[in-house]
Amino acid sequence: MDLKLRKPPETSSRASSTMVNDISKNLKPDMPFIQFDSSSLGYSVGQDRSMSEVSPQVVNQSHCFYAPERETKIKNHLGPSSVIDWNPRLMLSNLSFLEQKIHQVQDIVRSIISQEDHVVDRGNELAAQQQLVTADLTYIIIQLISTAGTLLPNIKNTLLSTDPAVGQPSSAMGMNTNLSSCGGQKPIEILPPEVAKSSEYDELMKDFDACVGEGDELIKCLNNAGAELSESMPIDDHDAKDYDDGMDGENLPPGSYEVLQLEKEEILAPHTHFCLICGKGFKRDANLRMHMRGHGDEYKTPAALAKPSKEASSEPPIIRRYSCPFVGCKRNKEHKKFQPLKTILCVKNHYKRSHCDKSYTCCRCKTKKFSVIADLKTHEKHCGRDKWICSCGTTFSRKDKLFGHVALFQGHTPAIPMDDAKVSGAPDQVQASESTNGMAEHTGFNFTGNTPNDAQSLDIKGADDCQGYFSPMNFDACNFMGLDEFPRSVYEVSESPFSFLSTGSFSFIQRHGEN
Amino acid sequence: MVSVPRGDAEATMNRPRPCDSDMSTVFSLDLLANILDRVSDPRDRKSCRLVCHGFLRAEEIHRRSLRVLRLEVLPGLLRRYAAGLECLDLSACPALDDRAFSAALAAGAGQWRLRSVSLSRASGVGWRGLAALVDACPRLEAVDLSHCVGVGDREAAALANAAGLRELRLDKCLGLTDVGLAKVAVGCAGLEKLGIKWCLEISDIGIDLLAKKCQDLKELDISYLKISNRSINSISSLGKLEVLNMVGCSFVDDEGLQFLKHRNNSLRSINISRCENVTSSGLTSVIEGNSGLQKLNVGDCFPELASLFFSKLNDLKDSLTVLKLDGFQVSASSLKIIGLNCKNLAKIGLSKCQSVTDEGIFELVANCVHLTTIDLTCCHLLTDRALISIGDQCKKLRCLRLESCNLITDKGLECIGTCCSSLEEIDLTDCSLSSTAMKYLSQCSKLVVLKLGLCYMISDEGLVLLASNCKKLRELDLYRCVEITDDGLAAIAAGCKKIQKLNLCYCTKITDGGLRHVSRLEELRDLELRGLCHVTSSGIAKIAMGCRHLSELDLKRCNLVDDGGLFALAQYTENLRQINISYCSISGTGLCMLLGTLKCLQDVKLVHLSLVPIEWFEIALRASYEKLKKLKLLIGLRNLLSPLLIEKLHSRGCRIRWVEKPFAARR
Repeated sequence: MDLKLRKPPETSSRASSTMVNDISKNLKPDMPFIQFDSSSLGYSVGQDRSMSEVSPQVVNQSHCFYAPERETKIKNHLGPSSVIDWNPRLMLSNLSFLEQKIHQVQDIVRSIISQEDHVVDRGNELAAQQQLVTADLTYIIIQLISTAGTLLPNIKNTLLSTDPAVGQPSSAMGMNTNLSSCGGQKPIEILPPEVAKSSEYDELMKDFDACVGEGDELIKCLNNAGAELSESMPIDDHDAKDYDDGMDGENLPPGSYEVLQLEKEEILAPHTHFCLICGKGFKRDANLRMHMRGHGDEYKTPAALAKPSKEASSEPPIIRRYSCPFVGCKRNKEHKKFQPLKTILCVKNHYKRSHCDKSYTCCRCKTKKFSVIADLKTHEKHCGRDKWICSCGTTFSRKDKLFGHVALFQGHTPAIPMDDAKVSGAPDQVQASESTNGMAEHTGFNFTGNTPNDAQSLDIKGADDCQGYFSPMNFDACNFMGLDEFPRSVYEVSESPFSFLSTGSFSFIQRHGEN
Repeated sequence: MVSVPRGDAEATMNRPRPCDSDMSTVFSLDLLANILDRVSDPRDRKSCRLVCHGFLRAEEIHRRSLRVLRLEVLPGLLRRYAAGLECLDLSACPALDDRAFSAALAAGAGQWRLRSVSLSRASGVGWRGLAALVDACPRLEAVDLSHCVGVGDREAAALANAAGLRELRLDKCLGLTDVGLAKVAVGCAGLEKLGIKWCLEISDIGIDLLAKKCQDLKELDISYLKISNRSINSISSLGKLEVLNMVGCSFVDDEGLQFLKHRNNSLRSINISRCENVTSSGLTSVIEGNSGLQKLNVGDCFPELASLFFSKLNDLKDSLTVLKLDGFQVSASSLKIIGLNCKNLAKIGLSKCQSVTDEGIFELVANCVHLTTIDLTCCHLLTDRALISIGDQCKKLRCLRLESCNLITDKGLECIGTCCSSLEEIDLTDCSLSSTAMKYLSQCSKLVVLKLGLCYMISDEGLVLLASNCKKLRELDLYRCVEITDDGLAAIAAGCKKIQKLNLCYCTKITDGGLRHVSRLEELRDLELRGLCHVTSSGIAKIAMGCRHLSELDLKRCNLVDDGGLFALAQYTENLRQINISYCSISGTGLCMLLGTLKCLQDVKLVHLSLVPIEWFEIALRASYEKLKKLKLLIGLRNLLSPLLIEKLHSRGCRIRWVEKPFAARR
């Protein structure tokens, strides 16, 4: 992330955070956002330029999933006027608006700073302002930090719906302690203003990632609401692949849908859902909702926990399609035969597969590389199983498939893998073939050929050690040692090696023979 | 001459020098070869070629088949016979390896006309040797690799290059998998006979491909494979299949046999014995679909056959000649139906059919007058009456097995002896017969195989009677005939000169003198002397010097035999392949001498050689590791012998049986 580069001016950061801390001391029960926002505030001060880089589409989305909560809370304090400014459609068409908005926020912050000295008793109003600012900035910061790259299908539901679904499974209650432990303890570390330093923050985010993993697992275990929530990440990606493939047949007329284009950084960002209180990132909205329960009782209501459903949506859903940010790509909206991508997951996978380095290498075959980790996992399931090879070079993961192929094509035969031959053979054979090799070494004969055709070209070398072990009696195996011509010398009729023994016996036999 | 055995040294010396009177100047080589063709006995042929150069040269050109007994003479023999040789049998050369084999083949490079090569048990030969064979012999049609436990897919791949291969035996090639089979199936599409018995890695997939690629298969042996009904379905598509052996295919059931129903009636012989999951209905469907069936072996499948099976035999009325029903409950009525339905039956196997009665046999033989072989092993209910009916009806009888038919007496054999004059083989093991029975049996002058084990009452008198007329006897089993003494052996040695196999185990009255008589049996190949406590090294030395063809010898518990006997064996019995010297009083030198010198030795049993130190075991086995195929040792030696030695033994296909037996005095 380029976050590290955008280090805010220290003075303003420190000033604002100290200020916020003061306030937070007063308002803590009502202001759960404050701790995190203190640092985000520091960031936002110096970030006009970078904000402009974020495309309006992205802002729109992240606004959308942020919106429900903001509406429920902020409306109460400030009234609807400020919410109207955040109409997503306006945002969509107006790139510069975001910049303005940031200026506005800046103004508010400045006014707060100016009021700070003499308006002590207007605590409530100040708090409301503060909350507005921090809430707005939070989402901007989230964008900058690395989020909002992708939206999982269930997030889309969130964004299109307002009405809470029926009820979350009661078993989810068990998560309370766990989530509060990872969601509630960590943010405390953010309290000191030094945390605002980006590198440290990155580290914290990593910790959060770990927590997210835990959260995922918990959700998996506890949530029986359905596959959508309990699916693990690789499977999601796998599904996305299908979407990706299924896209082309869709044929939506151009203009009948909205085209969004995410930036590279967003596409590659690991998480899409962030806790507005502690900043912890999640891959799934459901996980985030579970996490939120740790931040207070208001998040534990069935309504808050429920999956937002589509049906009651006041507006007809907008058909959204996505464009790849890579110019020249067929999936890029500038392309003549532009073929849009259906979901953000499609974008993510498409971008990684087509325009990124393949950084995941299969540790088994060491050759296959992938840019999407799910692809690697899919490969690993089959890697090494393609041991069934035809003489034509075609590989098969199953023996019967290979034999079907061999039966079909004249002259094709199953290939015998040179190395695997030993492994797959019967134990006897393994031993035999291995020690035959040893034997060849031992007696000094090396068959140079690796293929049957080379069998005649026998390389004969005299080896010294061979006499050491198996030649105390000097039998056939050793007779030819050191002789130049091997075919004949093998068979030289030799005197009995036991002649030294047989003298006595011979006389014995003769003695009896006389009887 | 590389290979003149010592016994023929005299003949060699007397060989006339090439001169004007040489046969080859009088007769052309063709004529000489023609003469040689009429000399059937290999020993006589040997004498011929030792007599003059003409015959030698004629034989060099004319000889078509060769069985090599000792590896060291192989190159010389092959150089000599390369031009004409068509069949080469190397199954007696276990020490053969790739180097030796390739080199031997190189001796006749370019002129090989070999059609058939047997490398059975030559487990030192690998794919390199086979590749050399295939390259050198373009006319190769038959290869036998059975019991080469090391043979696997690569060897099969090497063989697959012999496109003209018609016959291939791969029994007990333990490394062979579907891949190797596929190689052969694709490479040798003209295959007609294939044996893959005991190739346990082969599955349905391989059989399926085989059936698709080798449509010309006539004989197929898939015994003991772990194949299912699917394979039988694949096999049923082989239109030319005549012989199918599927012994012990325990995953095949009636459903599989149903597939054999829909065929074009080419099947002539089928062996379904020991297929545990097959029942009467499966057998019935086999009969229904194959009315040309001549041989049917369904032994040991399940206890009782349904009567439907017997009535279905009517379908095979004229064709069926061989029927084996080992281990079934066969009632008298069933035997009657068999007799009525299968009038052409020549061989019937009723071994272990314990319910067979005299009446049943009577009903059977009343109709099946062409029977030549009747196996009634362990039919305990049979009495002399059964033998009388057999003798009355089956005049062509050649083989009768009556082991453990305890109720049979001398009287029953009287009828057999007088009526069945063409009897060649009779097994009377464990029948309580006396020497009187020998009098009757001696009437069967064509007798070749006689088993009298455990007939305690047989005495020298009986043997004298036997020897007086049964001159053709080749195999005689006198196991535990304790009454027999040296005199009986003298009579046998004088009368039955052709004996090749003689079992004298636990005939404890026999001494060295008896063995001196036995040593006159020049053709003796297999001699068992187990537990002869009076026999010493002197007697063994006699045997060694007299019986030069001896290849199997059992001296277990011949306590008095010491190094001297082994030295004599090492010196003279060059063809000795199996020996059991457990409990003998031999020392390390004797053992080393034996194992080191005898080049054909394959199977050695060395249990309780208490006088042999461990170092000598090690040395002796090192000297012979490459030829040994089977070894029996006390388990205590396992950790004392060097691991490298054991590994080397294994690598050459040697199987070591480690026995755990306390040293026990002689029983």
